[in-house]
Amino acid sequence: MITVRLFGMTKSLAGNQDSLSLALTNGRQVKDLVELLDAGYPMIGELIHKKKVLVSVNQEIAHEETEILDGDELALLPPFAGGTPW
Amino acid sequence: MPTDDAQFVRVQREDFSVDAEINLVRGRSKRIGGISIFLGTARDRSKGREVVSITFDHYEGMAQRKLREIRERAMKDFDIIEVAILHRYGEIGIGDNIVLIVVGAEHRAEAFRACQWAIDELKRITPIWKLEYTPEGEVWVEEHP
Repeated sequence: MITVRLFGMTKSLAGNQDSLSLALTNGRQVKDLVELLDAGYPMIGELIHKKKVLVSVNQEIAHEETEILDGDELALLPPFAGGTPW
Repeated sequence: MPTDDAQFVRVQREDFSVDAEINLVRGRSKRIGGISIFLGTARDRSKGREVVSITFDHYEGMAQRKLREIRERAMKDFDIIEVAILHRYGEIGIGDNIVLIVVGAEHRAEAFRACQWAIDELKRITPIWKLEYTPEGEVWVEEHP
């Protein structure tokens, strides 16, 4: 199981949970995580596809192919209060 | 004795004293001849809506890392002597302090330049989110110029 920390609007979209626990079964890359989110939390998935929400791995912005290792710190980052970070 | 990072870069719930932070920077060096500050406060309107109060959410750890990175880059890229960067989180009342940048330099021009760069960069790369409470409900703020 991996834990994904939620912030800002992603927290609201997941029913005010602080984090999600997900089982990566089909691969160990960020895109595999996004696939799981598409299925379980389609509104969050859509924001990721639109690049409005970024995925971070170990506090760095990740890409589709970024590998996810056991114990990695994952988070979903909506647009920052000060403006778009990218 | 706390490290420089812990002293000069802080993300905290409690309010801060602008005077105390200025004195912290001033105390760094007798070469400082100009101090520039940016203080961000909570306004009562946003995009035409009334705002009753604001809550800041932050990514503990990553937010501090990004602020430390901004301090290090400011010290390297500008001719300045010290920078303090503070940001509050949690519930913040209208008119209250949110964010403070204090830059000490030998001369004012570099202090102004570094201060403007630091607040712009903070807004661009720091994982902090703002929830505004309005009479119509709560809104996560996406952008602020």
